[in-house]
Amino acid sequence: MPAPPFPLMLLTLAALPLGWSLLAAVQAGLDPTGWKALLNDPQTLLALAMSLWTGLLASTLSTAVAAWMLCRIFSPLPGAAVGTKLARGLAPLLALPHAALAIGLVALLAPSGWLLRLLSPWATGFSAPPPWATTQDPWGLGLVAVLVLKETPFLLWAALAQLQRPEVGLQLQQQLRLAQTLGYSVRSAWWRVAWPQLWPRLLGPLLAVLAYNLTVVDVALVIGPGAPPTLAVLAWQWLQDADPATNAQGAAGAWLLAGALALAAALAWGSTRSPLWRRRQTRGPDAMRAAAQHSPGTTKSITTITTITLRATTQHPLALLPGIYLAVGLALGLGSFTGSWLFPQLLPEVWSLAAWRSVLASSSTLWATTGLALASSLSALLWAVAWLELAPHSWHRRAQALLYLPLALPGVLWVLGLHQLALAWGLDGQASGLWLAHTLACLPYVLLALQGPYTGFDARLAQLAATLGRSRWAFLWQVKWPLLRAALAASLAVGFAVSVAQYLPTLYVGAGRFNTVSTEAVTLASGGQRSLTAAYAGLQWLLPVLMFALAAWLGRARRF
Amino acid sequence: MADPACTVLPGMTLTLDLHSLRTPQRVLLRALRLGVAPGCVHTLMGPSGSGKSSLLAALCGTLPEGLQFDGLVHLNGQRIDTLPAHARRVGILFQDDLLFPHMTVGDNLLFAVPSGRAAQRQAQVRQALADVEMDAFANADPATLSGGQRARVALARALLAQPLALLLDEPFARLDMALRERMRALVFGLVRSRQIPALLVTHDLADIADPAHLTHLPPSP
Repeated sequence: MPAPPFPLMLLTLAALPLGWSLLAAVQAGLDPTGWKALLNDPQTLLALAMSLWTGLLASTLSTAVAAWMLCRIFSPLPGAAVGTKLARGLAPLLALPHAALAIGLVALLAPSGWLLRLLSPWATGFSAPPPWATTQDPWGLGLVAVLVLKETPFLLWAALAQLQRPEVGLQLQQQLRLAQTLGYSVRSAWWRVAWPQLWPRLLGPLLAVLAYNLTVVDVALVIGPGAPPTLAVLAWQWLQDADPATNAQGAAGAWLLAGALALAAALAWGSTRSPLWRRRQTRGPDAMRAAAQHSPGTTKSITTITTITLRATTQHPLALLPGIYLAVGLALGLGSFTGSWLFPQLLPEVWSLAAWRSVLASSSTLWATTGLALASSLSALLWAVAWLELAPHSWHRRAQALLYLPLALPGVLWVLGLHQLALAWGLDGQASGLWLAHTLACLPYVLLALQGPYTGFDARLAQLAATLGRSRWAFLWQVKWPLLRAALAASLAVGFAVSVAQYLPTLYVGAGRFNTVSTEAVTLASGGQRSLTAAYAGLQWLLPVLMFALAAWLGRARRF
Repeated sequence: MADPACTVLPGMTLTLDLHSLRTPQRVLLRALRLGVAPGCVHTLMGPSGSGKSSLLAALCGTLPEGLQFDGLVHLNGQRIDTLPAHARRVGILFQDDLLFPHMTVGDNLLFAVPSGRAAQRQAQVRQALADVEMDAFANADPATLSGGQRARVALARALLAQPLALLLDEPFARLDMALRERMRALVFGLVRSRQIPALLVTHDLADIADPAHLTHLPPSP
């Protein structure tokens, strides 16, 4: 056992800024004038309703879609090989920042976007972009679409991580087999046996999804409704105001959002306790277990385009997600080279390098993004490795609530506390403040990515190394870390991607003095510079993807 | 204790006519024929790795991807090897009890009862619990049961699905000596009273139900 001072120091290192920010946020939320202003503001209630509507709808849909896809993928019974392959395929989808997806989707769906150009004028008859509100629609459907597209792969990834654990995956596989011999088809066995056991293991990721969907700011700025906006956007605008009274109103708004989130989470949890679900599980297999239901080709084949696509998506559900992401990637990639581009033309008359020249001209943005992401993800990785290596298990279990808290708190609330911390410590507007904010943002993700492989490492190898007379350092450098290099590299890439995507803390803690590709992309998204926006949004994706590729290369299996 | 009733008659039996059972790399089993009469337990003995469990998976239709079964399986005169697992009505008891941890004992049993009137289904569950002497445990959490109790619940569950044949994959291996004897008597007794054919795979000589109905599998090549 290591001496306790090291874990204690590590814990202090992380808990001090986290706890400080939290307390500062609490203090900011205690101002009664802020609450009075919030409650008297006519926008508040509408904005709260909009937040609840978009957040709850997106969370329900992404959970349902992820569960359904898992059912389809594992219908032939969960195999470890399928899981590994899928998890690898999901990485590029996870690397795409929310805001970049939103910008890409706007480029596809806007009245002058790729989709309508593809259909115009031959199908739609439009020779000018129609006056449609397809992107900042007043119902927030665009926002919901982005969130569902982005959170579904995340939930799939989290579920796969569980299913790849032998005591979960193999056990479920056997139980599904058994349920089949009791007369259930694989699908109905999945919903009654596997899913009810799987989702309670995903409570953390599900809560993170709910928190994110209810309180996201950058995506809502790009594709969300404007009148009323969501409460998170409103609180963010108030926090940025020059007037301290309006800032207090923003703090109160952030806490109202946190309250709504807690209530929604409690209600969602309560609804899963309903006896209705239990009764559904034990309704019994169909008495008529005839083979008739099995025979293929019973459906009359009406070969229209819709049924073909429908069949393709139901039989290869996962093809749908990469398809959309690919379209977004193309829209961003091609979009960054467009010059003059009149409406019904599918391709621009003039291709142009202007956007990329402009990116290169302000290359400091690119360097700031990369440097910040490298520094913060490396710091977070160092901390996580030290923590997992040195801290006793009981400490880790108890500290988890605090370490993962940032994932379950509204971003606006979090950034409010971080800002107070930066002011108090004199880091406001400094690169060091930005580094701290990004490191704290990366930390829970890096820890989440690393803790499974790291704590699952075969303890007998350490004992073996010790009996061979090797020191702990020798064991770590020569055995443990080399064996875990894939997980270490992947965790680093996760941290890198999280840092690249940061929007709120970069602007707020950096006091607007530092530009990263994310702040540029989101700021440009509301303007008219189509190709420059696409270039920055593309970079938002490209940088993490390169990092993930590098991680995959570093972690590749060695052949002797 | 050769049972004269265990003579295989065509029609009311489980019959296997296996040409080969193979993985992509090698052949696990080849040229195996057997028939099991209703109420009888036929024992298959073989060392581990001889393909016993894969053979049972082929019989009940849960053969993992990659394994290939070439042969015929008939149950009561009907060919079943072309049917999906849930339509075969072949039950199986594994070494692990595989009780669903998210359901109570009662719900585990209810899960297996074919759909129908609620009161009737509940009555079937009560009867099944009584059959395995677990009356008081309907609302218990499976995690609180002992190994022997779990094995009995798993047996009750397998039989509640009203299988027309039962496969036993070393179901006594995880139990201690004293329990093993009781469990054997219980399983063999229930198979006899239900008059369904049963196929037992084991490598424990004491498990052999009836030396007259015993097949030795060759060690794998």
